[in-house]
Amino acid sequence: MADNKRKLHYYPGCTLKEKTTHLDVSTYAAMEILGYELIEPENWTCCGAEYPLNEEMIMGLTAPVRILRQVEIEGGDKVFTVCSFCFNVLKRANEAIKSDPLKNKRINAFLKDDIHIDRDSGEKTTDFKQYNGDVNVLHLLEFIRDWVGYEKIRSLIKRDLSGIKVVPYYGCRLLRPKGRTAIDEPDDPSIFEEFLENIGCEVIDFPFKQECCGSYLSLSMPDAASEASYNILRSAKLSGAGMLALSCPLCYYNLDTRQDRIRENFADSPEIPVLFFTQLLAWALGVDEEVLGLDQHYCNPRTALGIDKSEVKK
Amino acid sequence: MRIKLKFDENEKKFVDRVSELSGENIYSCYQCGRCSAGCPFAFEMDILPNQLIRLVQMGLEEELLGSKALFLCASCFTCQARCPKGINIASIAEAARYLIEPKGKDYFGPEEVPDELADELPQQALVSVFRKFSK
Repeated sequence: MADNKRKLHYYPGCTLKEKTTHLDVSTYAAMEILGYELIEPENWTCCGAEYPLNEEMIMGLTAPVRILRQVEIEGGDKVFTVCSFCFNVLKRANEAIKSDPLKNKRINAFLKDDIHIDRDSGEKTTDFKQYNGDVNVLHLLEFIRDWVGYEKIRSLIKRDLSGIKVVPYYGCRLLRPKGRTAIDEPDDPSIFEEFLENIGCEVIDFPFKQECCGSYLSLSMPDAASEASYNILRSAKLSGAGMLALSCPLCYYNLDTRQDRIRENFADSPEIPVLFFTQLLAWALGVDEEVLGLDQHYCNPRTALGIDKSEVKK
Repeated sequence: MRIKLKFDENEKKFVDRVSELSGENIYSCYQCGRCSAGCPFAFEMDILPNQLIRLVQMGLEEELLGSKALFLCASCFTCQARCPKGINIASIAEAARYLIEPKGKDYFGPEEVPDELADELPQQALVSVFRKFSK
């Protein structure tokens, strides 16, 4: 079974190895069942989290381009991420390298002189080849839709999620900036809904699915961020959903971990479980409860997932 | 607010510099206000996103660089997605912050992170907030 798995490059990003390990672990568990062996690019670093919007700060492109070049060196033609921020940075950096000859030239001139020291042999490599944006950067939702296929997902479903009412929360980075780097139409997206329907959830629409949760302002302007997050949580609750699904670790922090602090400003802020889409996927595919990392959540998602009463379909 | 318009060389230079840094065509804005209508943080701002562009158009450097709104932008790009001209105000705000930074201290530096949050904050939040608000 293990020998015919297809190899696929996966870029986790820094938050997934520290604070939201349940997003990382559930991705590995689900992708194994789907028949993929995940490869992380050697010596990967943080992607920079924010794509540099200032035209003169192109040093911010070196980290993502170096990661993508490493994927190409290792023979990968595509790499997927599950973190919305990483997806956005890698994808936009890739587009910049493809479409902006000046940035391409400057970044490649800088990265050419990287030195790579092999861990085992100590052998030094330098004089790296030019990277021209040929690696395809994908979000897992896109990869599942276009490469795995919903039919295959449906055929592998082990648990019935039909009682789970869930609202998809896209946030900012998957849909915006509007244009080639977005995974769907910013004003009328459907990819997340399709995914959730195909793993068997009952999808509920809600008006705040593309709104910003406050992002990094939860650190620098906590009150403003709390208000933004409160609007989202309240709307999700009013729509009748039992949980909110998302893909971004920072949205997760703002909407789950900060729920008690949001309540300090807004006493009626609801308790609503927040899950990563990979946890729902892994759960539907029959992964054990212990693997999902449910204890890491501020708001316990067990009841919403139907644990206690759920039965595994034979 | 009474504003004196000067349009001398310095003002012109400021507009050009912001255009250059942000990569946006400042003059394509015709003040429809959809950015301000959609901005999730407009409720906290002293000047609205469309006013921010207007200040750049008029070369009012001090009014722009002194505004709190520059530090309320979460780069969510809602304005860009809704702008009929496709202007990205997050880039303009980033360019403006870049023009202030050499003059002052960090708006939000590592020493400002509350100790009690140090253990729970995702790396992503720290990296992005420092990228946006410190040198």
